[in-house]
Amino acid sequence: MNDPQMDNRPYAGELPALQLSDVRLTLKSLAGPVDILSGIDLTVEAGQTVALTGPSGSGKSSLLMVATGLEKPTSGHVTVAGTDITRMGEDAAAKFRLGRVGIVFQSFHLIPTMTALENVAVPLELMGLPDAFDRAERELRKVGLILRTDHYPGQLSGGEQQRVALARALAPDPRILFADEPTGNLDSGTGAGIADLIFALNAERGATLFLVTHEESLARRCGRVLRMADGKIASDSASAP
Amino acid sequence: MSRLRLALGFARRELRGGFAGFRIFFLCLALGSAAICGVESLAEAFLTGLQDQGQVLLGGDVSVRLVHRPADAAERAFLDAQGRVSETVSMRAMVYARDGQGRQLVELKAVDERWPLFGSPRFSPPQKLSDVIACEDDGVCGVAAEQALFDRMGVARGDLVRLGNATFRLMGALTKEPDRVSTGFSLGPRLLLSSKGLAATGLLSPESLVNYTYRVALKPGVSIAGFRAAATRAFPDAGWQIRDRHDAAPGIRRFVEQLTMFLTLVGLVALGVAGVGAGQAIMAFLDRKRADIAILKAMGAGGGFVFLTFFLQVMAVAVAATALGAAIGAALPFAVVWIYGEALPVPPTFGLYPMPILLSLAFGLLSAVAFAVPPLSRARDVPPASLFRDVVSPARAQGQNFYRAISAAAALGVMVLTLLVAPSPLFAAEFLLGAVAALALLRLLAEGLRRLVAALPRARSPLLRLALANLVRPGAATGGIVTALGLGLTLLATVTLLSGTINHQVSGALPARAPSFFFVDIQPGEAQAFDKVIHDFSGTSDYQRSPMIRGRITALNGVPAAKATVAPDAKWALNGDRGITYAATPPPGTVITQGKWWAPDYRGPTLISLDEAIAKGTGLKIGDTMTLNVLGREFKGTIASLRKVDFTNGGQNFVLVLSPGLIDKAPHAFLATVRVTDDQENALYMAVTDRFPNISTIRVKDAIAQVQGLLSSLADGVSAASLVTILAGLLVLAGAIAAGARARIYDATILKVLGATRARIALVHLIEYGILGTATGIIALGAGTLAAWAIAWSILDVPLSFDARAVAVTVLGGAAATLIFGMLGALAALSVRPARRLRSS
Repeated sequence: MNDPQMDNRPYAGELPALQLSDVRLTLKSLAGPVDILSGIDLTVEAGQTVALTGPSGSGKSSLLMVATGLEKPTSGHVTVAGTDITRMGEDAAAKFRLGRVGIVFQSFHLIPTMTALENVAVPLELMGLPDAFDRAERELRKVGLILRTDHYPGQLSGGEQQRVALARALAPDPRILFADEPTGNLDSGTGAGIADLIFALNAERGATLFLVTHEESLARRCGRVLRMADGKIASDSASAP
Repeated sequence: MSRLRLALGFARRELRGGFAGFRIFFLCLALGSAAICGVESLAEAFLTGLQDQGQVLLGGDVSVRLVHRPADAAERAFLDAQGRVSETVSMRAMVYARDGQGRQLVELKAVDERWPLFGSPRFSPPQKLSDVIACEDDGVCGVAAEQALFDRMGVARGDLVRLGNATFRLMGALTKEPDRVSTGFSLGPRLLLSSKGLAATGLLSPESLVNYTYRVALKPGVSIAGFRAAATRAFPDAGWQIRDRHDAAPGIRRFVEQLTMFLTLVGLVALGVAGVGAGQAIMAFLDRKRADIAILKAMGAGGGFVFLTFFLQVMAVAVAATALGAAIGAALPFAVVWIYGEALPVPPTFGLYPMPILLSLAFGLLSAVAFAVPPLSRARDVPPASLFRDVVSPARAQGQNFYRAISAAAALGVMVLTLLVAPSPLFAAEFLLGAVAALALLRLLAEGLRRLVAALPRARSPLLRLALANLVRPGAATGGIVTALGLGLTLLATVTLLSGTINHQVSGALPARAPSFFFVDIQPGEAQAFDKVIHDFSGTSDYQRSPMIRGRITALNGVPAAKATVAPDAKWALNGDRGITYAATPPPGTVITQGKWWAPDYRGPTLISLDEAIAKGTGLKIGDTMTLNVLGREFKGTIASLRKVDFTNGGQNFVLVLSPGLIDKAPHAFLATVRVTDDQENALYMAVTDRFPNISTIRVKDAIAQVQGLLSSLADGVSAASLVTILAGLLVLAGAIAAGARARIYDATILKVLGATRARIALVHLIEYGILGTATGIIALGAGTLAAWAIAWSILDVPLSFDARAVAVTVLGGAAATLIFGMLGALAALSVRPARRLRSS
């Protein structure tokens, strides 16, 4: 528990938050190899809010997994805040994410045997922070769940679970937050509330936001919109005329 | 009917994909059935072997044994009229190497030229019996001995040895004695010689403890029953013990029967453990089948139909599993003969025995019903909507009473069947009750552990917190593992503690009080000289010499012993010959509990001082009479006092002490015991055996070592059998770990995403399984200690000695097994790629 990386994060504002160069991902299937990502080149500057949209199967979630080090690309390079994570082993990638990268999933992915407070505290505890629980409580207060700290995921609604997941992702104060269809499993009202929270909390921290979504309204709230099709970035509002 | 057919069709379709979801259930049931069928088949094969080869094992159709005296002319004439007769004479004696240093207590067996009437002995190197025991012109006769004699005395084939006053030549090793098993426990290796050779030793005297056995191959037309009746009619007071080929080795038969019963019960415990696993496996299976059940229900299938569909699947698997188990068990006798072959004391008779197969099928299927119906019934009552809930909050519904009754009836069926087939239903009932109580206790303790962990303050370390949470999470297998693995470990702890206690009683508890030597067959003429040798020897103490004569109790208050009502623990006293002594004054250490000792000068009608435990078992009181047969003469005695006899002190313990006046007129020798300091033990042994070659000198340490050897083989066998239960427990453990794999992979994925390394995740599993295994071990040790204490207190009547081995075996074994299986299971969670898991969700 002694990974005090909070105060010596190695990247400064000048370095891009995320850089992908000629990233390819090919997965094996029974029917033969399937190209999921076909040569992605992308640079996301620190502090940008980026939306990645596209139809189902276009490779959005795979791109997110490669960018977070959860999946190794077949070829190409992935650099997060100046650190090349492409060839990192599983444990090295996990350590790298700790405190630097926050992720919010469509299916929340909370640990069912832990309370809301404990779920939020997990990354802080993994970092060895002595005030993990105090900080976790503050995060829960920010997402409006201070009265639910002792509830288990099974006792929370979908929207509440996603708020816990958001608090957990943001608790270590990451420089980049990835969100994969964060409102996909929620009704429109709840989804809108979560979206507001994501943008508000992210803006408050000045972190980079990389949002995978197929909701146009959500994508439009980002400063930059990328559209994927067939494993490639088909359009990028940053480079649009 | 059509509903059943439809359910059968559905079940068949479900099973088309194979037994994948039923692997643990299948293995558990197959293991339990194999254990029961194997044990029962092996026992049948041995018992049939005993029956089939009764003639060879007994050495005749009937055998008639007399102590102290040979058959007189009239008795011998009677025997000769019944068929061909062979006489053997057996006794204990000391054999000496020619250099005068090596000496060994042996079990002598002198045979006539007709021996054996059935079967044939084998020697190494191979030679004919007549050549082995032939006497040479110079009067030196040949002998053969068991290999142990060559090893212990350091003699070789061809060497000369001395026995009493005669010299013999060792012609070879006796590798097979056809009627050996009918002779029972022995204190030394067998030495086979001719009757002529024995006569030359001068060891035979009317006072010596000698057995004369007459084996008869009955003439055609003479039945065993006819022989028995005629023998009793013609010689009612002969005092002979008659056995026949239908029960050639009653000791072995009883041993096989008792051991079989015990091992079958162990098999049943294994089946019980397997049942717990089977129940869990069914729950895990239904967990995976929730969607199917929900779809069936959504399409209009009723709860009963859903139950029937899955019940049929479970039973189809159960039939296949028990059939496979029975097939493996039925093959066990063949495997045992293949592995042990000639080393077996009784050759088993090969064959497919239907009873063990049917029994194991019945036990297996009844257990399957008992353990599978409750979880199946729960699925029946779960509404389709709740079946769709995820693992976070699984649906809980109570099964209906009807299904509980089915389960209870099947469990009752197992118990009734057990009692029906057990040779001692009382013991079986006690064992089953004990097992059920242990099962209930373990369940209770498992629940206690769960609540304790749940009530612990939340740990600050997330790894410890997750590990503890895993133990109590909904659907956690903690209860099943503690119960199933715990039951196996409880049995192992009980067996280990009991064998340690018995061992301690035999060796540890004795030396403080027990004599160092027993001297048997001290002749009246040498008694004074013997006393002097002992008294003159430094370091001796507690010397006691008593007259001893063998006799039988033939009637109690005039009722023949065979017809008297006797408690099981007192039967041994009426079974065969007992050592009887007489004394004018109470021997040292006598504790009279009732009545009075006779006056020192009393010479009237025989009075008896009887062991109070035997008095209690036979219902005899002061003033009652006992009829005894000594040397073919019957006489009555009146009980004058009861004594406390402590058989655990290892000293001279006579059940019957008689007043002098009549018994002292019978020819008899003396038995002596003495304690000597360890450093003088060997010197005393050499001094006595040098001076008195006819006296059998039994070193208590050697006898104890022999008993310990027997006990430890028995304990090893029973421990090995209880390993079957452990194996069943491990299967349950493996099943539980496999069932929880999904949740573990999920947790590991999230932790990896949040930045945890594999080492940290492995630590979570290490903590979790370490706690679970150690707790299971400790709980099992507690339950095992309780069971062992109850058995030691109520059956063995000795204090339980706590054995560090039991702690090691139970706690460390439990922890190690759980950790190994747990960590093997954790490998899947550690190796899964987070991206793959996330993509699939």
